[in-house]
Amino acid sequence: MSTRELAMRDLEWEACLIEPRPDRALERRIRRESGFVGSTVAYFGSPEWVASAVARFNHDLRHRVKMSQRLANLVGLAVSQDNSCRYCYAVHRAMMRGVGYPNRDIARLEQLLHTGDLEPKERAALDFTRRLSRSNPLVGPSDLRALRGAGFDPSAVAELVSHVGLFVFFNRLSTLLALPPQRVEMLAHHPLAVLAQPVIGPWMRRLIGSAEPMTLREEQKRGPFAAVVLAFDGLPMAISLQAAMRDAFASAVVPARTKALMFAIVARALGCTHSEQEALRLAAAEGVAEEEASFVVAHLSSPSLSPLEALVFPFARDTVRYGQPAPIQRRTREVADALTREELVEVVAVISLANLVCRMGAVIGGC
Amino acid sequence: MGLVLAVAAAVACLGGAFWWHARKEVLRLRGRLELASRELQNLQLAFSRFAPDEVIERVIAEGLSDRGEKKEATVLFADLVGFTELAERVEPTVLVRILNGYFERMSDAIAEHRGHVSTFVGDGILAFFGVHAPNPWQVDDAVRAALAMRASLADYNRTLAAEGLPELGVGIGLHRGSGVAGLVGSADLKQFAFVGPTVNLAARVQDLTRTLGTGILLTESLRERLDPRVVLKPLPATPVKGVAEPLVLYAVEETSAP
Repeated sequence: MSTRELAMRDLEWEACLIEPRPDRALERRIRRESGFVGSTVAYFGSPEWVASAVARFNHDLRHRVKMSQRLANLVGLAVSQDNSCRYCYAVHRAMMRGVGYPNRDIARLEQLLHTGDLEPKERAALDFTRRLSRSNPLVGPSDLRALRGAGFDPSAVAELVSHVGLFVFFNRLSTLLALPPQRVEMLAHHPLAVLAQPVIGPWMRRLIGSAEPMTLREEQKRGPFAAVVLAFDGLPMAISLQAAMRDAFASAVVPARTKALMFAIVARALGCTHSEQEALRLAAAEGVAEEEASFVVAHLSSPSLSPLEALVFPFARDTVRYGQPAPIQRRTREVADALTREELVEVVAVISLANLVCRMGAVIGGC
Repeated sequence: MGLVLAVAAAVACLGGAFWWHARKEVLRLRGRLELASRELQNLQLAFSRFAPDEVIERVIAEGLSDRGEKKEATVLFADLVGFTELAERVEPTVLVRILNGYFERMSDAIAEHRGHVSTFVGDGILAFFGVHAPNPWQVDDAVRAALAMRASLADYNRTLAAEGLPELGVGIGLHRGSGVAGLVGSADLKQFAFVGPTVNLAARVQDLTRTLGTGILLTESLRERLDPRVVLKPLPATPVKGVAEPLVLYAVEETSAP
């Protein structure tokens, strides 16, 4: 086992906050739409939009337009490691093992990440990846210039940003709910899994491939955070993002005003004024007075908040930059104790989306 | 033919020996790299007790650079009231135990509100909010941390009283402004610090808690950004050493905000 893998396994990780609830009808639909049903679908079946978003985003991670498989793997490992997401790291590693990477090749990639002994273009991509993932401070024009200087054209930059963003999303979704990594971690080294590799390898390799550029249809160019979605037009991920945002705001589990204000708080924490303004516009459309919204974003509370809002607004802020997983998982549990399962899943998914969208928003400027 | 076979066998043997040796060397180097990597991780973990992760990562990436960054931060200065009397009344071992208990509780209150304790100066505490990562809520955080410190000290005093030990008091001064963050110190001793007039002024505000007889004092720079539900008592403008105009200060009373 590699040092990095051991270090990830050493991370304190709380017990999972929710039990899986398999839904065969939903699984069939997702298999039909994206060709693959990940084990996480059982956790996110209700509200259904979360499972759909997870499946679409998962598909986008596995199908890229330009990005090489090696860079995609480096980015996946780097972001998951940076966010201390033991679950995502284990899943990514298991996926690499599944498609046929020997353990020593994965260990070599991990070592390269640690030592930084990479080609200049890869190093530039990984520097940018970490800057975007950490957003401390938010990426700016100079970061983009460095990336272009290293040989990334605008469409390659967009794909890299979306790839990092997707890991930012999955890391939060998995870490906040403390999805159990133990079985996946064991799988990568289990003798049966090693023996079965020649059989499952070709099947798993079929799940990974290249994607054709896809353009948003007219009706997909509208909706929450349309400017961010439009900036990534051409990537299949823009279509998935538009659908996820549309469905998230249409869901009735948590009020739309609460979601808009959660987005505004995440944007404020990141320092992305462009995203904050868009979130405040969405809040205003839901009837939140400008003065009230400003107060909430400035102080994370207000006497007029619902009990759910009073609970989740300070929590939203804590999800932007956290160190070790266990403290943020304990914090999520405090919030979870006062919510229904559906509310918890929706709150965590919206917060994860906000972290993704507001980081992507930073790249399109105006922050 | 025999000669050719013998040469081929010798070449194969040599090649095999070379391959075996090279493989052994690669494995040895890989093992050393793994070990070094593990040691580095352990070192990082050990250092995380002395400085925040961001600082350690920066030191690893850049070494002990002279790079400074301009930041807007909130500074909290806390000083133990009655420490001199306490030091005269109790045994040195008891004094250290009391002090450590105090520092532990105060540090927890600060960390719970996303502050970072920069240093303990004698019986004083210097903490920053918004230095390591941008924090748009640093003012609310700092004032809530001060209130939590007050509440935590009241709790600690009950423990001390039960042991027949004297009660402690704390004076806290808060100020917000710009400064420079970076690694400062001598070649032998460096620490990550936030330096500038903001820090000096926070220290002077803390000094005034004694003369004005109040526990938590803050400046106008905080009041204008503070959650209005925190109850403040305005104090008469007070002259402060090193500041041209008398300073408008507020005593923090309580909060109705969560």
